[in-house]
Amino acid sequence: MIIVKDLVKNYVDDGTVTAALAGVTFTINDGEFVAIMGPSGSGKSTLLNVLSFLDRPTSGEYSFNGKEIEELNDQDLARVRNKQMGFVFQSFNLLSRATVYDNVEMPLLYEAGIPVSKRKALVEKAIASVGLTEKIAAEAGSLSGGQKQRVAIARALVNSPAVIFADEPTGNLDSASGAQVMQILSDLHRAGHTVILVTHETYTAEFSNRIIRLRDGRLESDAPVAKQRDGAGQFFK
Amino acid sequence: MRTFLTMLGIIIGITSVILLMSLGQSAQDYILAQVQGIGSNLIIINPTASSSSSKFQPPSAVLGVIIKTLRDNDIAALKREPAISAVAAEVRGISRAVYGNNDTAVTYVGVNTDFITAVNITTSRGVWFDQNDIDSLNHVALIGKNVAKNLFGSADPIGKSIRIKNLPFQVIGLLSTNKGSLFAGDLSDVVIMPSSVAQKQLQGIDYYSVFIVKYNDRYDLNFVKSRITEVLMTDHGITDPNKADFQISTQDDLLSILGNITSILSIFLTSIAAISLVVGGIGIMNIMLVSVIERTKEIGLRKAVGATNSDIRLQFLCESVILTFFGGAIGIALGAGLSYLAYVVVNKFGGIVWSFALPLNAVLLAVIVSSFIGLVFGIYPAGKAAKKNPIEALHYE
Ligand SMILES: Nc1ncnc2c1ncn2[C@@H]1O[C@H](COP(=O)(O)OP(=O)(O)O)[C@@H](O)[C@H]1O
Ligand SMILES: [Mg+2]
Repeated sequence: MIIVKDLVKNYVDDGTVTAALAGVTFTINDGEFVAIMGPSGSGKSTLLNVLSFLDRPTSGEYSFNGKEIEELNDQDLARVRNKQMGFVFQSFNLLSRATVYDNVEMPLLYEAGIPVSKRKALVEKAIASVGLTEKIAAEAGSLSGGQKQRVAIARALVNSPAVIFADEPTGNLDSASGAQVMQILSDLHRAGHTVILVTHETYTAEFSNRIIRLRDGRLESDAPVAKQRDGAGQFFK
Repeated sequence: MRTFLTMLGIIIGITSVILLMSLGQSAQDYILAQVQGIGSNLIIINPTASSSSSKFQPPSAVLGVIIKTLRDNDIAALKREPAISAVAAEVRGISRAVYGNNDTAVTYVGVNTDFITAVNITTSRGVWFDQNDIDSLNHVALIGKNVAKNLFGSADPIGKSIRIKNLPFQVIGLLSTNKGSLFAGDLSDVVIMPSSVAQKQLQGIDYYSVFIVKYNDRYDLNFVKSRITEVLMTDHGITDPNKADFQISTQDDLLSILGNITSILSIFLTSIAAISLVVGGIGIMNIMLVSVIERTKEIGLRKAVGATNSDIRLQFLCESVILTFFGGAIGIALGAGLSYLAYVVVNKFGGIVWSFALPLNAVLLAVIVSSFIGLVFGIYPAGKAAKKNPIEALHYE
């Protein structure tokens, strides 16, 4: 469970302070699929970075699965990221000269005490779940954009994380590949993972069951997807 | 390729370390074999310009001073000592030897009979002269391989008469090429003759240029040295040991001089190698810094998926060490290869017995030093990598 209260994040650059998050409060329960939307510069990425323990808030409270971020040191944060979080980025962030297998295996290398045989089984299972088994030995750099993002998803779920964070995962993809990636995220949600997705495309937000809208670092709206449809079932802006 | 170029400093450094240590070992083996070829119970007596406190003085001849004090009566007096079993004496000079229309440059060495027994010189054919030949000033000689070839070609020299300084000498034996003896040296261009003939008829002198004393090894070396000093001082009428006109040296003395020279040389060469290793290390640091910048995104990613700062630091340290380790391995192979080449070349064309040595401690040292350089010069880049902010790193383009 994710609980944030009065979350503030200020960036200080040459004395000028940018309030990227100006007091945000909400709760996300286990198993939700939440889309974070809002115009560019509204603080979506900043919120995701804080939620995923990559950054610390300037003030406010944040509790992830019962752990207060304030009480954890950097090493603890790294450990939580490693065991309970998965990451999918807009720009894939694969090691292009490494194989698909090696890319997917990476999070497991930072977790002590997994026997090699188990590691292999986990990696193969994750790759199979995104349908890339026949590419397992291919160089990541040789894949298409959609395939790369599926490798990234396999990497994100190889450690069976409670929460998967995705920042504009379809931003660099054509619509067919984007749909495939969203389908996989949707399947993961159905399989019990919490999915938190940053997007500015209404099409992708439609896969979620709750939309949090930000504007100027503040919560503009927070509502289930069903309520955002008009009478004809049309998804509205 | 770029990686290889940056490893070059390490490769060169380690190559030279290995080459130096390997060649140094071979040289030491060679010199040791030479010195030990003297025999452990031999003592060398050189005439010196007296009154020096320096332990190792160059022989007087080097200083242009001719000392005429080592004579037959010294030999007789020394041989009266029970500890001394032989006193080999020689006198040498350079001349040309002539046979028919052929002539060649030779070193003639006049020796006494003790020389033949005490200094291990072997003949391939013929016989040695004896005391009677020395007493009677008989003109007989044994000649080296080159002398025989230059004067006689393929003909048999035994029994023929050659001329040195217009005196005829009958060839009675052929010297075998003796690589093992420091005193004899290379005998290829040598003519050995009775000491009396060389002294009186070729040089017009009655002294010797060096004594080699063989002592009975039941006696203590220091005792023998003190006896020699006393006998010669009495014989030469000297009372103050600081004014002695001779110098006694043993195999140990020679070894320690050679040891000094070798260590000075290796310190010097090692410092050169050390400088190239430091330069190599800086090269490694450079490429690691470039690599850290190029892989900023990767560092961000690794941190995102759970790598701690120490994980990242360790990764880059390992890479740096692996880089220098392989540089070191290539250097070891290259150094050993070059040393082996030297071994082949020296043996083929150098005419001396040179051994190939690759000391294990040199290899270990090279491995340790190269890895250590990777460690030391990797610390700074690895620290930079570890300190990167994951978000900024992930968005680095
Ligand atoms: N590292 C940073 N330093 C300074 N300002 C930043 C930094 N990151 C983001 N910002 C600013 O914070 C605001 C929110 O940015 P961001 O969270 O990236 O928005 P979004 O992802 O919704 O486009 C923007 O005004 C942006 O310029
Ligand atoms: Mg953004």
